[in-house]
Amino acid sequence: MKKHAATLVLAVALIPAIQAQAREPFEHEAPPVVPTPDPVAFVVPAGLYYVTDTYVADVVATSDATTTYSTATVHESTGTYARVIDSVDTGASSAFDGTAFNGRGTLTDGRALAGTYYENFVLTAGGYLPVSIVFFQDDSETRRRASLSSPRPATSSPAATSAPVVGPSDSRGGATPTPSFRPQPPITPVAPTLRAGVALAADGPTLRSAEILRGRLIYFWPRAYANDAAVAVRSWRLLSATPDYVSATTGASEPLAAQWLRMPTHGVRWSLRFEIFTEVAPMERLDAEITITVRSPALID
Amino acid sequence: MIHEDGGTAAVTTLVMLPLLLVVLAGALEFGALRAVAYRVTAAADLATLVAVNDQDQTELERTGTLRLAANAADTARDYFARNMYATAPALAASVTEIAASADIASFPTAPAIDPHTGTRYERPTVRLIASVPVKTPGFAVIFMPAVTTITIRAASSPR
Repeated sequence: MKKHAATLVLAVALIPAIQAQAREPFEHEAPPVVPTPDPVAFVVPAGLYYVTDTYVADVVATSDATTTYSTATVHESTGTYARVIDSVDTGASSAFDGTAFNGRGTLTDGRALAGTYYENFVLTAGGYLPVSIVFFQDDSETRRRASLSSPRPATSSPAATSAPVVGPSDSRGGATPTPSFRPQPPITPVAPTLRAGVALAADGPTLRSAEILRGRLIYFWPRAYANDAAVAVRSWRLLSATPDYVSATTGASEPLAAQWLRMPTHGVRWSLRFEIFTEVAPMERLDAEITITVRSPALID
Repeated sequence: MIHEDGGTAAVTTLVMLPLLLVVLAGALEFGALRAVAYRVTAAADLATLVAVNDQDQTELERTGTLRLAANAADTARDYFARNMYATAPALAASVTEIAASADIASFPTAPAIDPHTGTRYERPTVRLIASVPVKTPGFAVIFMPAVTTITIRAASSPR
């Protein structure tokens, strides 16, 4: 009896422990996602913006003793881009004097008008191509009494008038303006090609897919492009999604914050689909989608 | 015929008792060693999981792919030491020393081959191999080393 008891104790004491094994939660998961970033956009000149108001003519308006020099524009988009290249005060010279197709006029005393030089661009396959320079005049002068010097008054009419100026840079000298209409420069309008995508950063590239960690709050930025140049998003709306948390279903310039707490079943990838409207074409709906692969840290053998 | 064997059993027990005690001490120490090994292995597992959870946000925004943070190995080493504090009394070296001497490697991109083990990783991986000296006074009773070094290994990746 005692021998049996001793044998039993010995047997219990020598039972070997089993070895721990790391678990392999997803042995047959889908192959790794190979994200395809968008092609790199070419260089965009600094300060470039999409033109929504187009130059029409230089305008000289006289009311009593005050003559105002301004620029008439029309609210329309010709598919061109522009940027400010210089702003000049009355009488100040500019490196761009003589380069504007509409010239830079002068006051009655011969001083050059104040205003702003803009450089116009068209978007081609090779990038942004400068096509012309235009001067937007923005100045005024008050005609002094006859006793004061006013060599070449802008107008002899005391009544208020408003008429486009005659010619380009030759209008220096402020001769009495002849009603005339300056045609726009020969810029061929390019209808912008719009596209939309989703990025993970405000200035990041758009992505077709992304891997994210379970439980991590991720920000998705709906973005839009006109001829591959970023344009402002007027509004976006989330069409379909499967996150466990979303910050909003609609928005404008702010991103969508989303979070997944559950893991997808085997072979399932989730996606976010957006409906996007831009400032460039407010009535044109763009769709954007990003595929999401939710992952979680796990042990491997 | 009736035989009285009570005396024989007593003598047998007296002779076998030292051997039984030695075997029992060894078994108990072996069990304790296994328990420490489990705890240290869990510390290593959790350390690599924490390191994998720390991803390179810039790379994610640029490419949409998960990539380990540049300091993933340091993170794993730090948390390996932290996770071993509860087991420190059973260890024959300080947790800091053990963590510092651990072989920790991060493979930020995949696929990658571990030059130490030859393992191929299909995901960004943090791998930890450490030799942990454990106090085993019970083994000293049976003329075995009083310190037993165990080797543990852990590896994690986002899956």
